[in-house]
Amino acid sequence: MRTSPFHKKFAAHNAVFSERFQTEIVSRVSDPKTEYETVRCAAGITDFSFMQRFRFPEEKGLDFLDSLCAGNVAKLRYGRVLHTFLADENGMIVADCYIANNDEEFILLCESIADDDVVKQLLLSRGAAEAGMVDLSQSHALLGIDGFKAWAVAKELFGADVLGLPYLSIERYEFSGAGVSLFRSGKTSEFGYLLLLEADKSDLVFDACLASAQKNNGGLCGIDIHADLRLEGRFFNVFAEGASVRDPLSLGLQWMIDFNKEQFIGRDAIFARREHGLEKKIIGISAGPDASGFTKGAKIVNGSDDVATIVATCFSYTLNKFIGLALFSIDFAYAGLSFRCGDANGPVVSTISMPPIMPKSLTVKLDDM
Amino acid sequence: MQKEIGQRREIIQTFKSELIRRLNLPYTPDDLHEDVALLGAGLGLDSLDALEIVLCIENSFGIKIPDENIAVLRSINTIVDFVISQQTANKEQQ
Repeated sequence: MRTSPFHKKFAAHNAVFSERFQTEIVSRVSDPKTEYETVRCAAGITDFSFMQRFRFPEEKGLDFLDSLCAGNVAKLRYGRVLHTFLADENGMIVADCYIANNDEEFILLCESIADDDVVKQLLLSRGAAEAGMVDLSQSHALLGIDGFKAWAVAKELFGADVLGLPYLSIERYEFSGAGVSLFRSGKTSEFGYLLLLEADKSDLVFDACLASAQKNNGGLCGIDIHADLRLEGRFFNVFAEGASVRDPLSLGLQWMIDFNKEQFIGRDAIFARREHGLEKKIIGISAGPDASGFTKGAKIVNGSDDVATIVATCFSYTLNKFIGLALFSIDFAYAGLSFRCGDANGPVVSTISMPPIMPKSLTVKLDDM
Repeated sequence: MQKEIGQRREIIQTFKSELIRRLNLPYTPDDLHEDVALLGAGLGLDSLDALEIVLCIENSFGIKIPDENIAVLRSINTIVDFVISQQTANKEQQ
């Protein structure tokens, strides 16, 4: 199992660890509601070192990555980050990816539903070695700062310049001798940053991030709460709906695909399904706080007919009810309808427009600060 | 239920077609999931595109978006919700 460079740091705060695809993850540090409020109201520091990360020299990496992922890497400008995915030959999702054009290099960050070895072999089988790929998964750490006050933490570490970074951009900074590639990203719908840096220099940065987060009423978070935060913000979660559905078209990820590209893994299968037309797709659902059986895998029925299967759920502390995603037959895949969960006598489930909450971060402009 | 679906489907199709035409998006209407984020994440549209979206709603449905109501513009579904609520309110006033 690949362990986290931050293991000791999080263990010192009584974090609970678990394993996912042979990689250690920090599941949680405190109770879900505390971690939820840490991100929604302050700043949460999260270990994202479970993600696979690779570096490619610019001249070879561009063509390689463009032939690999569904998005258009060739159009990716310097300093910007592309959110796309890596599929298998059947056009099914393998990894949710960020690709950054970072001056003379490209950086690929993957959240994958496959072991490190499987992902690496997939890349190598496509010519990653010839493209100069360097695997940073062991040598580098990845730390997340997410929350309404995440910008204050990033600003304290790297200066006011970070406030001008647009969403999905990358910039290099230095902190106490450590070179940091800062991704302005995030999937919580609050402000978010990912810090990629050498593992052996990561302790100082971790300490500074945590101290600054605590000054802003924040603290440490685990990955588990990010599943809920993503669902509330309707950000794609490869470990939840992604792993259940896997078809990027049913998942509504067409925006990650450049349909004019002539080559990427799984292209032909995806194009064939697109031509055929969707039979199912995921949409948002909600149920009252007392709804029983509102769990992943549960059926949603219209009278005696099954119309959907729940693929992701969480309890929304903001809305005080359950929300989720369900894979609906295309004829019923519309917001504003009511069904039952489990059977005709089950709790009412409503289809809803996503995202269902208005995050605090959308109410301020960092440029004005 | 079929009436609700029909009403929503019609608004969605009208809005998607107009959005694609105005912004010259490289997608078909079926490619645009109704929950995809329009600004920032997702389609990654910018503030100029947001103005086009507002005009798109005004021209397609005769409904104005209040300047302060940025929540409406987060996804196609949130826009469709707003259009339906305004159409319902207008009918009730008549």
